[in-house]
Amino acid sequence: MTARVLKPAPAWLVSSEQPIGPGRVGRRKRAAFLEKTLGDGAEVVRRAMYAESADPRGDRPGVLFRIDPRIKLVALVVLLLGVALVHTPVTLAVVYLGLVLLAWAGGVSVGAFVTRVWLFVPLFTAVALAPATLSVITPGEVLVPLWTWHGAQEGITSQGLTSAGLVILRVACSVSLVLLVTISTSWNRLLAALGALGVPRIFVMVIAMAYRYLFVLLGSVLDMVLARKARTVQPVAHTAGDRRFVGAAVGTLLGRAGHLSEEVHQAMTARGYAGQHHTLTGFRASGLDLLALAASLMVAVVIVGGDHLLR
Amino acid sequence: MHIPDGYLSPQTCAAAYAVAVPTLAVASRRVSAVLRTKQVPLLAMFAAVSFLVMMFNVPIPDGTTAHAVGAAIIAIVLGPWAAVIAVSVALLFQALLFGDGGVLAYGANVVNMAILMPFVGYAGYRLIAGRSALTATRRVVAAGLAGFVGINAAGLATAIELGIQPDLFHTAAGAPLYSPYHLSQSIPAMALAHVIVAGPVEAVLTAGVFGYLVRANPSALAATHPGLSGEPSSSSTPSRAPGLLSPARVAVGFVVLLAALSPLGLLAPGGAFGENAPDDLPLADLGLDAIPAGMERYAGFWSHTLLGDYGFADGQNATLAYWVCAVLGIAIVGIAVYAAGRLFVWTTRGRSGRTPVQVHS
Repeated sequence: MTARVLKPAPAWLVSSEQPIGPGRVGRRKRAAFLEKTLGDGAEVVRRAMYAESADPRGDRPGVLFRIDPRIKLVALVVLLLGVALVHTPVTLAVVYLGLVLLAWAGGVSVGAFVTRVWLFVPLFTAVALAPATLSVITPGEVLVPLWTWHGAQEGITSQGLTSAGLVILRVACSVSLVLLVTISTSWNRLLAALGALGVPRIFVMVIAMAYRYLFVLLGSVLDMVLARKARTVQPVAHTAGDRRFVGAAVGTLLGRAGHLSEEVHQAMTARGYAGQHHTLTGFRASGLDLLALAASLMVAVVIVGGDHLLR
Repeated sequence: MHIPDGYLSPQTCAAAYAVAVPTLAVASRRVSAVLRTKQVPLLAMFAAVSFLVMMFNVPIPDGTTAHAVGAAIIAIVLGPWAAVIAVSVALLFQALLFGDGGVLAYGANVVNMAILMPFVGYAGYRLIAGRSALTATRRVVAAGLAGFVGINAAGLATAIELGIQPDLFHTAAGAPLYSPYHLSQSIPAMALAHVIVAGPVEAVLTAGVFGYLVRANPSALAATHPGLSGEPSSSSTPSRAPGLLSPARVAVGFVVLLAALSPLGLLAPGGAFGENAPDDLPLADLGLDAIPAGMERYAGFWSHTLLGDYGFADGQNATLAYWVCAVLGIAIVGIAVYAAGRLFVWTTRGRSGRTPVQVHS
């Protein structure tokens, strides 16, 4: 065998490839529209999968994961009501710290829990509520004078700050409570619990099926977006074409949903569906569950009672 | 428009649930009666579609995008009761899976987006579309306006729910406990956002989807458009179809709407801006010494009014005169709308007479 000298690979093979197509030549604005639609869709899947991955089917150590979902839903509503009735920001701050502690003790990743809560609603709330701290909207005792209007001091009021603090902390506590329940409960068990708590069976079934087919229909949307992107050779300056695309895409989606429901209905009938709904999951409340229920009721009473003392 | 928990008092949330739960019960009974075993897969698919529609970004002229709710188009395709359930389920996903909208506030969100929006949108669509052919441009316009009116109704309801909070629920020191914006702030803020951005976006989406379905998949519209094909009716008078929307009805509807909306003026604080007579100006508050010269000169420019200051010339019977003014004003507005409607009918009839649409299969 003669040893062959290996030639270095040709330059065109080694060099990193320039992508061909509208990704490079298109104007930013246009690419942004399709990518935004696509990106949002992918984000939904990612987050839903994230929620599913928190399924307790393994041997999750956290206490929160082991509590009966029915108890968790009842406790959620009781605690949300407790939080909603609070009148002082201090109480809400204490409640929030308690929730972080509960997340830590319950086996939920605290870092992710805190960032997911604060990156979402409260920041938006803070921006939306900023003007409401001014005396023009919430009159009261001016703490930070900013300007004068006909001789009167105007600026940030103590009442405005209290109100903003109350709403932001209340939103943070409420979102945290919902998140604790949804992180620690798989979607299927949550639905079964809704059914066990008296939500009509037909609703539970619609919700469960909608959740499953959400991903099928999302896939078809992503395909449509991708197909359009593949056919886009040169960008159009105006957005009328994009709007027409959205109309056609949603119209197609409605048509496909209609067809799919026909097929699924036939498949269900073929398997003996006659309008009755059955569920596999049976719940049995353990000692831990009763303890959790009692604890949540007690905590709600303590929150509201303690807040009364602080007022 | 999704209200999170923390913006509404528990009392408001309870009231919203008291409206939402019975409506959902009625909706599920009505849909079950029509669809029997079919309703579960159909509603499930459309709930998923409703969720996905809320993810679609519609490009708007400044280069950014906004998303629509889609309740109006689902109501036009499936009927309002089915839309109630589909949008409610989509809202439940958003509340539980994505933290978009609260759990206590779910009832309020259902009332705004899943009940008011499909019903108002559908009513608007039926009213404007009348008995026109399925392919008529009028139906596409009706669908667009249905989306616009529907989302604005939802926005107004949201603004009212948020706006009543500071007056009803506050601490002893006056700090609002929940949403701090009053009706006089929340209604204009929501109106601005919904009339300028969200409304047109919803209109574009609803009209676009409707137009596409008429062109490409008219069978999808069969459920809510019984007996309507893509062709105009083959009777001897094809284009003469004023239907629900005759000029007289529009005029009466407009007057009723005006009368129904006039209490909104009572909610607004203060007087009417820029309507003071020169003598009524609070000169000291404005930092002025005298009435501005130009204002004084032109204030009396036109003085030949029939009922000056909403009273008779001799100043007697003030209450009676005020009522006469109100009735007269309403009548004039009604007549003006009626005349505009007649003119519109007259011009469109002339055009359709020149180019008769005749499609035969």
